[in-house]
Amino acid sequence: MILVVAEQRGGKLNRATWESIAAAQQLGDALTVAVVGSGISAVAAEVASADVQDVVTIDSAALEPYTPDGFTAALQQAIDQLKPSVVILPHTYQTRDFAPKLAARLDRALVTDVVAIKPGPAFVRPMFQGKLTADVVPQGPAPHFVTTQIGSFRADSARKGSSPATVKALTINVDAASIRQKPEAPFQEARQAVDLSQAERIVSVGRGIKEQDKLPLAKQLADALHAELAASRPICDAGWLPMERQVGSSGQTVAPKLYLALGISGAIQHLVGMKGSQTIAAINKDPDAPIFEIADYGIVGDLFEIVPAMIEALKQ
Amino acid sequence: MQTLVFWVLFLTFVGAFAAQLATRVRLIVNAPGQFAVVDLGGHVRRFVVDVLLQVRTIRERPVVGMAHALVFWGFVAFAGYTSVEFLRGLGIIDLTGTRWFFAYRVVLVPFATAVLGGILFLLIRRAIFRPKALGATLSIESIVIACFIAALMITFLLAFNLDEETLASRVNWWAHMLVILAFMALIPASKHLHLVLSPVTVFLKSLELGRVPNLDFEKEEVGLETVKDLPKKTVLDAFTCVECGRCQVNCPAFGAGKELNPKALILRAQEALLAGTPDAKLGAVLGEKELWQCTTCGACENQCPVGIEHVPMIIGSRRGLVSNGEAPEYLAGMFNNLERRKNIWGLGYDQRQKFVAAAALETFDPAKHDVLVWLGCAGAFEADFQKSLRSLFDILRAKHVRFGVLSKEQCNGDPAKRTGNEYMFQELAQANIEELKAAGPKKILTSCPHCVKTIGEDYRRFGYEVEVVHSSVFIAELLRDDAPTARSDDAVTFHDPCYLGRYAGKVHEPRELLAKFGANVREPERHGDNPYCCGAGGGLLFADKEEEPGSRISDVRFKQLTATGANTVVTACPFCSIMLKGAQTSAPANDVQFVDLMTFVRDRQRVS
Repeated sequence: MILVVAEQRGGKLNRATWESIAAAQQLGDALTVAVVGSGISAVAAEVASADVQDVVTIDSAALEPYTPDGFTAALQQAIDQLKPSVVILPHTYQTRDFAPKLAARLDRALVTDVVAIKPGPAFVRPMFQGKLTADVVPQGPAPHFVTTQIGSFRADSARKGSSPATVKALTINVDAASIRQKPEAPFQEARQAVDLSQAERIVSVGRGIKEQDKLPLAKQLADALHAELAASRPICDAGWLPMERQVGSSGQTVAPKLYLALGISGAIQHLVGMKGSQTIAAINKDPDAPIFEIADYGIVGDLFEIVPAMIEALKQ
Repeated sequence: MQTLVFWVLFLTFVGAFAAQLATRVRLIVNAPGQFAVVDLGGHVRRFVVDVLLQVRTIRERPVVGMAHALVFWGFVAFAGYTSVEFLRGLGIIDLTGTRWFFAYRVVLVPFATAVLGGILFLLIRRAIFRPKALGATLSIESIVIACFIAALMITFLLAFNLDEETLASRVNWWAHMLVILAFMALIPASKHLHLVLSPVTVFLKSLELGRVPNLDFEKEEVGLETVKDLPKKTVLDAFTCVECGRCQVNCPAFGAGKELNPKALILRAQEALLAGTPDAKLGAVLGEKELWQCTTCGACENQCPVGIEHVPMIIGSRRGLVSNGEAPEYLAGMFNNLERRKNIWGLGYDQRQKFVAAAALETFDPAKHDVLVWLGCAGAFEADFQKSLRSLFDILRAKHVRFGVLSKEQCNGDPAKRTGNEYMFQELAQANIEELKAAGPKKILTSCPHCVKTIGEDYRRFGYEVEVVHSSVFIAELLRDDAPTARSDDAVTFHDPCYLGRYAGKVHEPRELLAKFGANVREPERHGDNPYCCGAGGGLLFADKEEEPGSRISDVRFKQLTATGANTVVTACPFCSIMLKGAQTSAPANDVQFVDLMTFVRDRQRVS
């Protein structure tokens, strides 16, 4: 049996859990998802929609807020009861905090930051700052612990079940007095109004937009695509859009799934800020514009003709 | 009696002079490192040109410089006179009655007149016109010294009209001698210490602009961290500064309204040395923000008339900061890119392979090729610069020059070196040197002036010597016998890259090419061997995250270039081109065209 440890905070599921479920499903064994915390029934119901054997809740007032001592004690008992062969966790900050402690407590192997699973199973993980990848086959008695790198498995490829899986509560005992950590309220970094680095889709405008009055056109396209609006340096320098929407070496570095560049020539300062995008599409009048060197899809033409047509098509 | 009084005064003032000077000399002598004189002939030449002939003083400010030269030559001429008078005053020997001495005095009259004229001019300029470069506040001490010098000349000239042995004559003599003694006592603690130190400082100044020796990691060198780490030459520099402000007015960062002022850096170092705080952190003493604003354009160092080397102090301090993990955030990304991808952009080297294949470049083989073309990180990744490289290839092929490229190239390390990440620099340099040694070229051709400096000069310190030529120089020679094309009326302006015009001193060849291909060149403010930086050097290519839109060096330069009225700006460095095009997009609507020198030449060749 394979155990996936879901991550939640304040009753809200961390999306990376779906990635770990997707990874676990590749192993083809019976799958149990454990939800740890307090007041977690909604989260348990949410993950029960996955194609898994069952969902177990490990609910205790001592587990809210998160502490490494509390989680280690709770999961140690859960593993004793469930006896999984592999335990899979998303490679989040929280996992990085308690998983080594848990593995060491049980004296079991831990393979971190796994990016793929090969038959065997062998767990693939980067080494030496990503210069090499190693296929790791954990040795020794079960369970083996595996953490999955964020973004390496597709959350949307996690199979859903035909009907919700059963949710049952696990009886565990966490002694609040044995928890040594006293967490303070989590530190919230002063957030930028726009965090482009988290955006899944970005519509970015460059000097080709020509006038500030034409910006609403790009905004309409962004809205139709449920995308964030961004820009290259000259647009923000001119004050047409706030600095926080600037992409490039002097602005934010972004890596969305879709980056749509409108009238951006692709100066290298801009390219270095968006080269990590999964799919890059560009519209530019100049067929020699450097943006086409890295674009996956390109349209040579007038954005004032193409963009309205795209908005029209998206509306249908 | 008079002799006794003179002895007492002499010992008092000379003692004060010596004691103050000794404090400073001790600091210099006890500083770490050694003075380096590699090419004695070169240093002697520099001494003759910059000290005896005062060329660097006159070059930038001809009128002021001439006035200074008159005072300087006068001082030298007066050395014998002053010595004779002192010997007389001290009662050692009286040579003043000899015919030779009288003749000498007569010869000195024109010198004295020149000094008087020069110093009065400088006094009026300082006290009344008060140029910004000299500082915001009027230096009383400088006024006093100028008055002293004037008094010396007046008393000297007056002596001709006074009969010996009269009271007036004695008073005049005493006045002259007392002024000299007081002057001496004022020298060490003031900028007039340059009278004593600058000949030495100029002589010892490196012949290579921006010479920054490698760190020796075996000796656990990590760069300059505290005041006591400042090397001998830098300490000497700090006490030599004459506060003329040539560095300040030529500094592009200062010119764009940033905090950096090279003169202030030197004076802060001087202050910290005298304050006796050897453990003070240089980041705090010199100002971290300022240290990271330097583009290493070398203008300060190159214009300094007293031989100060600013660049090694700035890069040395950056090294100290980097070693302590105190580099600014925007550099972390670049360092990461260099570490993982071996280029500043963080792109994959498959892009270089694609370009090499598309441009049909051969792998260098000394049996087949005359010259190795170094593409550089811009050549490998930057689409615009790749176009200019293709122009270069066209020109070379048309002239049947056989050239090849390395199969593997990494960043030459310039951005790491100038941002103080010495470890990264040495790693990159050694990897490249290995590749270059295996390939065995006799001559390397590159279109990037930073590659010229780094591979040509910095790699020499690893024992790798090779001739590195910039494309402007190579192509100017290659086409020298070709017929010129017809002159075009369209005005163009040329932006000298700092690492070409100032560092390599190549100002003639680019202009030779422009002229040959009919360009109607309009020179911008700041050109030739003292250009205004584009803002990219010193690893600052990606630093504009830190910059307010109003204080970008590139914007200032773009304005200077367009002020010529030319619509075409010719560049000869990929980084200048990137920065200036960036400035263009932020400038008001304009139709300025940028073209690399190689593309300019190739296009004109096609037309003709």
